[in-house]
Amino acid sequence: MTLPQPSMSPARATATDVIASVTDLRVHFRAKGGTVHAVDGVSFDIHDGETLGLVGETGCGKSVTARSFLRLVPMPPGIAAGGSITFGPEKTDLTTVDDRTLRSIRGDRIAMIFQDPGKALNPALNVRDQIAEVFCEHRTDDVLDRAGIDVSGQPGPGRQLLRRRAAGRSRLHERMVLALPPLRGRRRAIEDALDGMIADALAETHIPNPRKVMDRYPHELSGGMRQRVMIAQALACNPDLLIADEPTTALDVTVQARIMELIADLKARRRTSVLYISHDLSLVRRICDRVAVMYAGRIVEIGPTDRVLAEPLHPYTRGLLAAVPSASQRRGELVAIEGTVPELIDPPPSCRFVGRCPHAAPACERRDPVLAPIDDGHAVACFLHHPPEDVADDDLPTAGWAGRS
Amino acid sequence: MQIRDYVLRRLLVLPLLIVGTSIIVFSLTRIGGSPIGIYLSHEMSQDEVAQLEERFHLDDPLPVQYLFWASGVVRGDLGWSGVAAAPVTQVFPTKLAASMELAIAAAIVAVVLGLALGTYAGARRNRLPDHLTRVFSISGASMPLFWFAILLLIVFWVNLGWFPVGRSDADIYGRIAHPTGLYTVDALLAGDFAALRDALWHLALPAITLGYGATAIIARMMRSSLVEELQEDYVDAARAKGLPERLVLKRHARRNALIPTVTVIGLTFGFLLQGAVVAEIIFQWPGLGRWMADAVLRGDQATIMAYVLFTSVLFLFVNLAVDVVYAYLDRRVVLGE
Repeated sequence: MTLPQPSMSPARATATDVIASVTDLRVHFRAKGGTVHAVDGVSFDIHDGETLGLVGETGCGKSVTARSFLRLVPMPPGIAAGGSITFGPEKTDLTTVDDRTLRSIRGDRIAMIFQDPGKALNPALNVRDQIAEVFCEHRTDDVLDRAGIDVSGQPGPGRQLLRRRAAGRSRLHERMVLALPPLRGRRRAIEDALDGMIADALAETHIPNPRKVMDRYPHELSGGMRQRVMIAQALACNPDLLIADEPTTALDVTVQARIMELIADLKARRRTSVLYISHDLSLVRRICDRVAVMYAGRIVEIGPTDRVLAEPLHPYTRGLLAAVPSASQRRGELVAIEGTVPELIDPPPSCRFVGRCPHAAPACERRDPVLAPIDDGHAVACFLHHPPEDVADDDLPTAGWAGRS
Repeated sequence: MQIRDYVLRRLLVLPLLIVGTSIIVFSLTRIGGSPIGIYLSHEMSQDEVAQLEERFHLDDPLPVQYLFWASGVVRGDLGWSGVAAAPVTQVFPTKLAASMELAIAAAIVAVVLGLALGTYAGARRNRLPDHLTRVFSISGASMPLFWFAILLLIVFWVNLGWFPVGRSDADIYGRIAHPTGLYTVDALLAGDFAALRDALWHLALPAITLGYGATAIIARMMRSSLVEELQEDYVDAARAKGLPERLVLKRHARRNALIPTVTVIGLTFGFLLQGAVVAEIIFQWPGLGRWMADAVLRGDQATIMAYVLFTSVLFLFVNLAVDVVYAYLDRRVVLGE
C-alpha cells in the first residue's frame, strides 16, 4: 500500500480565526473526601486549521477537558463548576447549549476519536451500521438525494417512511412496510446510497476493500483497522474540529506511525482543526502546530510547538522533556520527575507543581501563578517568569535550572 | 458456522441426548422401588402379584425392563397413570396445556416487565426509580413463592373477591371449542370475549405469583448489565456521533446488556416450571405440576417418568434456543466451537 506522503511538520496555521475557545473551564468531581478539581480554570483557543496538542501525564485533566467539548463528562459525579467553551463563528457555548443543538454539533461539526478503538466500537454492530448512524443523523438529505429521491415535494406517508429510513429512525412495523413492493425499490436505493457513502468514508482512510470491511464486526478487525474505521466514522461529516483522545496509545508502535500519518494527511487535506491529546511529547512534536502542557487540572505552558519544545519555560515542561529519550542523549541522562501528581481534592491556593518543583520557593506555596504571555503566543504560569511585584525577592524562585537547559 | 447449520447439527444430536436422558430417568425412578405398588390392592394373593409382575415384565432384568418401557415410549405408550386413572398419553396433553398456559403467561409478565424495569432502572442509576426497582426486585427474589401465593389468595380472592381460583368454570369453558387447550387462545379463536375475560381472570393470580420472582431476577440482571454497558466507551462514542439518548440506550447499550440477560431468561423458564408445582397446588390449577406432585406422593412411576422425560427434552430445546439467541446478539460468539 502506498500512502501519499503527508508533511510531517505541517506549515503553521496562517489563518488566525479562532474556531473554539475555552475560557476558565472548571470541571469538578464529587468524591469521598471532598471535591476533586479535575479541570480547574483552563483557557485556550483553537485556531482554524491548526493542530493543538494537549499534553500531560495521566490524571492531569486532559481527557476531561477534551470530553467537555462534547459534554461527555458524566454528571453526576461530574460537576460543571464554571467556564465556557465557545465554538464556531456563532460562538455557541457548548457547556450550556440545549441538547438538540448539541446533538446537531456532535458528530457533524465536532467529532471525536477515542483511545481504544476496541472499546469505542460497539461489538454488537457491524462497521456499516456504526458508520451509517453518522450519515443518517446528520446527512439525511444527502442520503435521499444520492438515492435519487426528491425531497422537495409534498411529504406523503410513503415519503415520510423513506425519510425516516434515511434518518435511521424506522421502527419495526415501518420496516415491514418498507419491505413491501411499493416502497421496496426506493428503500433499497437509500440503502445503496448509504453503502456508497460509507464505502467512500472508509476509502478515505486507506482501508483496502471497503465494501468487504463494512460487513465485518469490530472483533474481526485488527487494532489498526479498527482505529481507521473510527477515524472514517469521525471524519464522515467533515467536522470543523476533531478531538483525538490519545488515538494511538492502544496500538502497536508500527501501526501508530501509520495512524499518525493518516490523521496528519486527512487534516491537511480538509483543513480540520485538531485537538490532539497525548502524554507522548515525541508524538506531539511531529504533528502539532501548538502545544498546551497541562498539569493537575491547569495549563502551565502553551505556545508554538517548536518554541515550547526548544525553550521550555515551565519547570514541569522541562521535566517532561528530560524524560523523553532521544538519540542524542547519553546513557543515564533520562530524568524522571520526582513524585506524582498531587491529589486534587480541594487544592490549596498554591502552585500545583510546588511539591515536585526543583525551584520551589515560599511564594509558590502561598500563591497560585496564572498563565501569562511571555511573547508571541508563548505563555507560562510560573513565578520564575512572572514574579509578583508585592513579594520579597527572597521568597521568589530563582533560575538555577535543573534538568535540560 | 452459519446459525442454521448449527441448529441442524444440534437437532441431529438431540435423539442421542434423549436416549441418554431416558436411561437416567428410568434408572433413577427405579431406585425408588418397584412400580407395582400402585396396581395392587389388599385382597391380592402372592400369586396374583407375581402374575401381575410377569404381565408387566417387572420380573425381567432392569435393562430388559428399560427396553420394554422405551419401545412403549416410541410407540406413544407412556403407561398407565394410577393417579389420573387413565393412560398417561391421554391425560398429558390437557395437563400440559394448562401448565403451558400458566408458564407462558408468567414468562410474558416476567420478560416484558423484567426487561422494562431493568432498563428503566439501569438508565437512571442511583436515582429514585432505581431504588424503587431494587426494593421491588429484592422482595420478589427473596419472598417464598408459597407465601406470596397465599397472600394474594387472601387479599384478592378471600377479602376483595376480585379474582377466582382454579381454572375457568365448566359452563364457560364447556361452551367453546378447545383446539389448543390454552383457554385464552381458545376463547380468542372462538371470539368469545366473556370466556376470554374469564380465562384471563383465572390466570391472573397464579401468573403474577409465578411471574413476580422471575421478573425480579430478570430486572436485576438487566439493570446491572446495563449499568456496566453504559460505562463503556462505545456508548460515549455513540453519543459523540450525535445520536439522541433514546437511541444510544436502545441501539447500543441495551443490545449488549441483553446478552447476559438472555441466559437468565432461559433459566427462568426452568424456574417457572419448578415454581409451577407450588403455584398450581395453591391455586387449584389442573396442570402438570400438581399431577406430578400427586404422582410422586403415590409412587405413580409412569407419570413421573413421563414428566421428567418431558422436562428434560424441553430443556434441551430451551438451551438450544438460548444458544441461538445468544449468537444472534453477540457476534463474537462462534457457534459450534
